[in-house]
Amino acid sequence: MTPRLELRGICKLYPGVIANDDISLSVLPGEIHAVLGENGAGKSTLMKIIYGACPADKGEIFCDGEAVSEHGPAVSRQLGIEMVYQHFALFESITVVENIALSMPGRLELKKLAEKILKVSRRYGLPIDPDRLVMSLSVGERQRVEIVRCLLRNPKLLILDEPTSVLTPQAVKTLFETLRQLADEGCSILYISHKLDEVRDLCHSATILRGGRVSGEADPRKSTSAELARMMVGSDLPEMSVTPAKRTEEPMLALIDLNLVSENIMGTSLKSISLDAFGGEIVGIAGVSGNGQSELAAVVSGERIADRADEITLNGRAIGALDAGARRDLGLGFVPEERLGRGAVPSYDLSENALLTAHRKGMVKHGIAKRAKAKEFAQNVIAKFKVKANGPEAQALSLSGGNLQKFIMGREIELNPKVLLVSQPTWGVDVGAAAYIRQTLIDLSRSGGSVVIISEELEELFEICDRIYVIADGKLSHSLDRKQTSVEEVGLLMTGGNDAKETNIQGIKYGV
Amino acid sequence: MAFKIEPRAEPSRSMAIAAPLIAIGLTVIISSLLFLSLGLNPFVTLYTFFVQPLTTLNGVSEWLLKASPLILIACGLAIGFRANVWNIGAEGQLIIGAIAAAGVGLFSPWQESVLLLPMMVIAGMVGGALWAAIPAFLKDRMNTNEILVTLMLTYVAALLLSYLVHGPWRDPDGFNFPQTALLPQAGMLEVFDYSYRLNTSIFFTVVVVILAWVFMERSFLGYKMSVGGIAPAAAKYAGFKASASIWIGLLISGATAGLAGMSEVAGPLGQLSSQISPGYGFAAIIVAFIGRLNAFGIVLGGLLLSLIYLGGEAVQLKLGLPSSIALIFQGLLLFFLLASNFLINFRIRKLTTRAL
Amino acid sequence: MTNTTRREILKYGAAAGLATSIAGLPNFASAAGKLKVGAVYVSPVSEIGWTKQHSLGIEAIKAEFGDKVELTVIENIYLPQDAERIFRELASSGNDLVFGTSFSHGTPMQKVAPRFPNVAFEHCSGIKHLKNLGTFEAKYYEGTYVAGVTAGHVSKSAKIGFVGGFPIPDIVGPANALLRGAQSVNPDITCNVIFLNSWFDPGKEKEATKTLIAQGCDVICSMTDTATGVQVAGENDAWSIGYGGDMSQFGNGKHLTAFTLNWVPIYVKAAKDVAAGTWATSERWQGLSDGIVQMSPYNTNLSAEAVAEAEKARTDIIAGTLHPYAGVLKDQAGTVRVEAGSVLPNGDIRGFNWFVQGMIGNLG
Repeated sequence: MTPRLELRGICKLYPGVIANDDISLSVLPGEIHAVLGENGAGKSTLMKIIYGACPADKGEIFCDGEAVSEHGPAVSRQLGIEMVYQHFALFESITVVENIALSMPGRLELKKLAEKILKVSRRYGLPIDPDRLVMSLSVGERQRVEIVRCLLRNPKLLILDEPTSVLTPQAVKTLFETLRQLADEGCSILYISHKLDEVRDLCHSATILRGGRVSGEADPRKSTSAELARMMVGSDLPEMSVTPAKRTEEPMLALIDLNLVSENIMGTSLKSISLDAFGGEIVGIAGVSGNGQSELAAVVSGERIADRADEITLNGRAIGALDAGARRDLGLGFVPEERLGRGAVPSYDLSENALLTAHRKGMVKHGIAKRAKAKEFAQNVIAKFKVKANGPEAQALSLSGGNLQKFIMGREIELNPKVLLVSQPTWGVDVGAAAYIRQTLIDLSRSGGSVVIISEELEELFEICDRIYVIADGKLSHSLDRKQTSVEEVGLLMTGGNDAKETNIQGIKYGV
Repeated sequence: MAFKIEPRAEPSRSMAIAAPLIAIGLTVIISSLLFLSLGLNPFVTLYTFFVQPLTTLNGVSEWLLKASPLILIACGLAIGFRANVWNIGAEGQLIIGAIAAAGVGLFSPWQESVLLLPMMVIAGMVGGALWAAIPAFLKDRMNTNEILVTLMLTYVAALLLSYLVHGPWRDPDGFNFPQTALLPQAGMLEVFDYSYRLNTSIFFTVVVVILAWVFMERSFLGYKMSVGGIAPAAAKYAGFKASASIWIGLLISGATAGLAGMSEVAGPLGQLSSQISPGYGFAAIIVAFIGRLNAFGIVLGGLLLSLIYLGGEAVQLKLGLPSSIALIFQGLLLFFLLASNFLINFRIRKLTTRAL
Repeated sequence: MTNTTRREILKYGAAAGLATSIAGLPNFASAAGKLKVGAVYVSPVSEIGWTKQHSLGIEAIKAEFGDKVELTVIENIYLPQDAERIFRELASSGNDLVFGTSFSHGTPMQKVAPRFPNVAFEHCSGIKHLKNLGTFEAKYYEGTYVAGVTAGHVSKSAKIGFVGGFPIPDIVGPANALLRGAQSVNPDITCNVIFLNSWFDPGKEKEATKTLIAQGCDVICSMTDTATGVQVAGENDAWSIGYGGDMSQFGNGKHLTAFTLNWVPIYVKAAKDVAAGTWATSERWQGLSDGIVQMSPYNTNLSAEAVAEAEKARTDIIAGTLHPYAGVLKDQAGTVRVEAGSVLPNGDIRGFNWFVQGMIGNLG
């Protein structure tokens, strides 16, 4: 059979970086082919080259056996190559059908197009209402719009870039069914991901990238996660060591009937949230993004002041009225989801970024910042937390996401927090660094600290948390014991099905 | 051939040095063409513009005298600008500083006292700072836009000055002309040499430059304000108060502008008249940016701007050029300087041609 | 290396500066036998207006002396800080005679003149004269009085309007005289006044003129550095009176007359006196009789009677039989300031800081 797509010896150089080095792969018609790799392995660059959004420096692309010359997005569309980006390109203030019409060639009748949309969405189990405004859609629904937009063009090859990062487990299942159906009809699918279990569940074949090169090919159905991970990382992943939690008697952090009106009209207000976090344990907060996580992180960290001081207590002391600095003084550490611009100042070097929160460690004398001390501190964090950086003088923005996250995490941990709040600890962080970060959090909790993690990655929460709460539409569920709950139960709570206990679901236990 | 502008991963260090050289090079080329088209020798014209004003001690004295208030104000402004506090109304604060200082000089009971001058310094700084406190208060409490408020208060200040010199403060022996009496001798800044106008206010500038440098580059408060300017989310994350930045940024720049106003009235002016500033408060904004918000960069920027004022006069006096040509030349240089700074953070890349 | 060069330049520069100032010492006439004259203008030279009239004086010197004179002119100098530097520069670079042309040049000239005792300074609209700083000024009020007579004849609303740059005596006095001239025709006439606090602000001047017209004024006299008042009056079908030069081309046929300034005799005489070594400081204050103030041709639509009365006023002023500020002179409140049979003393005229009866408006 002629491959639908074949790449031969693709090379792409960016100043100082070899993004793709001699990459070859082939995808057969009807095949779901995974491109696996850590962040920075060159996946996104490769996809852009395939789609024609950026030219390769060397190498050839064949589509259905014919060499593609003079490549570009327009050529891709002619060839039947469609791409669903990780970040959607939809206009908020117009309807679904209007958005789709914008990307269709020629003159269109909206009515007819809407019918077509409905037909396609029904056929592939992607329910969408063509007349709804995009701004009223959830993230999952928006993704459906993007996929339907591609499907309307009868693609021969569909590229999906990390499509599940914004979906609930249930939505992931539906998506996979759609993709399988598409493949059965002969459409080839390139599936980019770093989630091993998904790839093993869905894909027929996989090309694994590391450092811009192909580090292996595998049949994911027949490989273990560990085997795939080894090809991605280049070495065996460290085993997580989770010792049983020894909880403190009293909660260290408590949220008591916390209400907060969102500052952003598109945001979610918090409604009567109550939570206890004890020393010696890790508490996770699961949820689909945009359900109040950012508001919660802001009000707990002190970036926003609570309406009433006693809505938040730290070791029994009401801290709701204090700002982030004062809360940090009392032992509340925080690692935000945005590393650049929030957790660190992008253009500042690491020692200047150490000063950001660690100034309270004797780095200021008579109002003058002690550069040498900050440098020493940064150096210590770099060494202790294995941050790959060009020393304390390296600019924050020159670090990879994972290394900057290790630096920020390290900086906050070095402040000996009693409670550490971490938002999306391993977002965009490569597998190796993620494992390290998780272990660090476990170690912190086991040494008596209280760790609260807000994460959209269920896999991660199930791996390291002792208890899990679920946030949906600004409301927090009751606490679930990790050992007694399931992905399904959590997933239901994520969609707002308020009490999963009552609905009788045969949950499959999440196993690592 | 197509070009693309891309942000650089890191500010280019070599460009940081090359940018002003590129700017000067472009100015020389373009202005040479301009001068040639007017039938002037470009070498002579450029020499007259840049070198001739500094060939006499008097010229150097005038150069420093004019650069001094620009540098003084720009240092204060830079502290605010780094924290995204946009005080555009230094001109107004300068005027109020001058009014306050002149008020003390003319009407206080210490006319003969050695304390008169220090009191005027304090009055000037407090006056400027109070004028800047109005937008600070409004921004802090009501989130008004300080760009608008500071700018509009400049006009209020100018009208207040006009009212005073036309009305209650008018020199009774001055035939109704809109100016105050001359300040008493004890209220005048000492000149270094009777032949030149440069006076001791230059020390204010030196001290302020050093303090501003320490504040911006070394102090923790300056660090906090800069973080607030570059990455407001990071400042919030760290718990640095935005309102502190607003107050400090505006009060400091108001005080330095007020000090500059005092230096003018107790220096080259000697009295208040209806117009006392040649736009120093506005020109200082340009100086702050030419100096890239760095205290020592600002010194260079202030010296440059002062020189091109003098050069503009020199080409009129020596070569008979109309003032408009001098203005065009000044505009060219400033344009290229500020535009080339763009290259420090961005690069222009030639796109390889590719058919779509 | 570069440091040395730089220092040397400064050193030599300083020496050169010193040398020129010493060379300037012995006499007003300089080494090359050429007379060196400098002039500082407050605004750019344009087609019309204050600075234009001064540039005519400089041109007259050029015409008189030909290549025996070296002229240095700088324009747009209106701030005292800059002016003082320029006057120093002109004096130290060997000029024998330096003209300042604005009130705002006064304090700087008073500071600079004593430093350069061998340079002759001439200051237009100055109030203080020193040993080597002479002042000259025009009796604008004589011109406005004559113009006021024509205004009195054409005004139907019995309201005239005056736009002034600043409320200084040189403007307040002429405004008073304008009304006095108009009242000589119709004693009920009043005059509305607006000050711009700027010599050159066409936008503000336009607004002010429109305001006056809206208030019912049908004759506008504007004492600023532009022709805007005349222009806006013409556009709105109001009469106008020009200042500085003949502005009839801007008046849309409604330009009554202009009181023009002719500084040429003063500029040429000063230059000749300096060249001859006979220059001495003096305070000149001249008007119609000396030809410093002149009336431009009257509007052809003026009645013969109006022209005749205006001309009579002009000749009477020249003859000394008519004085614009002759008693009885009352102020706005009606208090008698000058009794019948006497005239306002010269000192009071030069320091005019009150409005006569019939003026409507405030002094700043």
